[in-house]
Amino acid sequence: MKYLFNIIIVVLLSYVLISCSSNNKDSRNALLYWCSNNTDEIKFAKINTDEWNKNNPNDQVKYQPVPEGRSSEEIILAAVVGKTTPDIYSNMWQGDVEAYAQAGVLVALDTLKGFLDFLYERCDSVVIEEIKSLDGHIYQIPWKINPIMLIYNINFINDLELTSPPKIYSEFFDASKKFQKDFDGDGYIDRWFGYSEVEVTWWQRFFDFYPLYLAASGGAPLVKNNQVAFNNEYAIEVFSFLQEMYKKNYFSKEKLSARQDVFLAGVTATRFTGPWEIAHAEKFKPKGFEYEYTFMPVPDGHQGPVYTYGDPKNIVIFKTCKYPQSAWNYIKTMIDRESDLKLLEITNQLPRRKNLSSDTFFNDYFTNNPKMKIFADQSVYVKGTDASPVLKEIFDLISQQYEACVVYGEKTPEEAINDAADAVNLLFLE
Amino acid sequence: MINKKKILPYLLVSPYLVHFMLFVAFPVGFSIVLTFHKWNIISPMEFTGLNNYIRLFNDKTFIRSISNTLIFLVIHIPLQIIVALFLAEILNQKIKLRGAFRGAFFLPVIVSGVVVTILWQQLYGYDTGLLNRLLTGIGIGKIGWLTDPNIAMASIAVMATWKNVGLYIVLFLVGLQTVPTQYYEAADLEGANHLQKFFRITLPMINPTIFMVVILSTIGGFSLFIEPYIMTGGGPLNSTMSAVLYIYKQGFFYYHMGYAATLGLFFAFIILAVVMIQKKFIEKDH
Repeated sequence: MKYLFNIIIVVLLSYVLISCSSNNKDSRNALLYWCSNNTDEIKFAKINTDEWNKNNPNDQVKYQPVPEGRSSEEIILAAVVGKTTPDIYSNMWQGDVEAYAQAGVLVALDTLKGFLDFLYERCDSVVIEEIKSLDGHIYQIPWKINPIMLIYNINFINDLELTSPPKIYSEFFDASKKFQKDFDGDGYIDRWFGYSEVEVTWWQRFFDFYPLYLAASGGAPLVKNNQVAFNNEYAIEVFSFLQEMYKKNYFSKEKLSARQDVFLAGVTATRFTGPWEIAHAEKFKPKGFEYEYTFMPVPDGHQGPVYTYGDPKNIVIFKTCKYPQSAWNYIKTMIDRESDLKLLEITNQLPRRKNLSSDTFFNDYFTNNPKMKIFADQSVYVKGTDASPVLKEIFDLISQQYEACVVYGEKTPEEAINDAADAVNLLFLE
Repeated sequence: MINKKKILPYLLVSPYLVHFMLFVAFPVGFSIVLTFHKWNIISPMEFTGLNNYIRLFNDKTFIRSISNTLIFLVIHIPLQIIVALFLAEILNQKIKLRGAFRGAFFLPVIVSGVVVTILWQQLYGYDTGLLNRLLTGIGIGKIGWLTDPNIAMASIAVMATWKNVGLYIVLFLVGLQTVPTQYYEAADLEGANHLQKFFRITLPMINPTIFMVVILSTIGGFSLFIEPYIMTGGGPLNSTMSAVLYIYKQGFFYYHMGYAATLGLFFAFIILAVVMIQKKFIEKDH
């Protein structure tokens, strides 16, 4: 009897194990793709995966918005630590890739069949150089960008009797001086020409120092091959410019973002922001409110194109993926011309592809969305981030000096940039 | 045959023992091991010997964060004791609506720290804050409550006092009610005034409560985190960067887990030392 009981147990266990194993086989066949959790990108992911699954019944892809958390970066990190990463992830901040690449959790995409040919067809060689890791491999696919530009209130610019928004620092100072106002006569400014968060949080510098630095320097790197590259006259000029803006009260030191949108409320005339502001402005702008975008301001005498930060989000394949070639085949359909048009139409975010603004394929979209055309024109002169596993720390160290120099005037721009460079060099030595 | 009587005690303590091993002993042990390593969670741990300890003693921001925490304690603890004792003394009298006042003072204690912090952030706003509107209304200039590096920590200490004072009022009330009334009656017969009674009878009698409040405030103050994290992010110019906030930043922002563990361990010893010193002083006085 006992013998029979043991046999039944063994048979049952074997059945359970075989069942589990066959289930695993099924789930392995379906690639898991995490997209961003904003509504438009979920819609985009759904359309793409539905189409792919219809045409590839033996190579299914399951899309899923990145699980909810404080930030998608933290979720991805938790997934990497827990080895529960998806096969494909499409919202990777370019600055995070190097750390993951060095940790060995990403697939070197340049080893996949057809990858480089496709990439060179889609992107400029400059962009491809930018996304290369320090080991020479490519671990990310440039997907989309949201360039930071200067949004301005057209009515205010007209009120100041300017023919165009200020383009260089001296024009910015003049316009700021004219625009600044103390309405109630209490000795405190109530209206500022511009606004930027004074918070020391590292990524806040994506909206002031970094795009201004790229604009001033013609797209120079902050760091290169684990060496500081930002201790130059451009960084000093940007710190001087912003320091002056705060010193003269042309920018508010108050955290204005805690109240209603200061740009739409007419409390500021300009702001450094991206194309996402368009949908927001169209929804909430008061009657008669007119706005436009232009390049980031540059130092007087600047020559050449005006670069800016593109806030790139890229696609990666994690090493937990059993079928990287299949994953790449799927990604190719996500970033071809047709899908890039869909990306524009559904999400109003720019694909990072060459000749975007001149490619007639996208003409209709840009004709219907003229403000996005400005960003498309800018996209030629957009930079992402440098390859470094400690990029957040670098931005944080710059941000601390930014606060001391620009906001509080405790240091000269030269001292602040030197101190930031010394601190970053120490970081590289560790 | 196993003696059931011998096993039973172990069985009874085993839930706590398992909990202790999993959530106290193992994390503490692991943290100590981490202090000798470099680890960013995603890459394998790398043994670095005493590097983290050497770095700690050369880390100006950490030293600043400890001095900030001490500044906070120096402002917060006396303020907390004075305000709590003053209010407890009043609420110990037979005043109208005493119950309602006691409830009102305790209310901030049960409100979420995040909510209180956001509320005070609005009050402290430079251009739009209610406090500055009030000050400009009466002809006094605006104050950078959270933007002036010289007073930002004091502003946080005042807010923390407001948030926690209710708890200490309750403790002092308990202490005050344990003072025998005969002492006050005898003092009345001797012609002592209210202040004399307070300093000669009340204070010495509630010394154990004061000791407890000092210890609790110190430990609470050392763990200062939510307020600077939400209100200032440690700024301006690192003036509100508390030690715990800095450790958190190293651990969960930079993912310098080994270094964060080293800072945490070092900071735990500082807290232990401060509490031991306090204990010695107060016991000596007692």
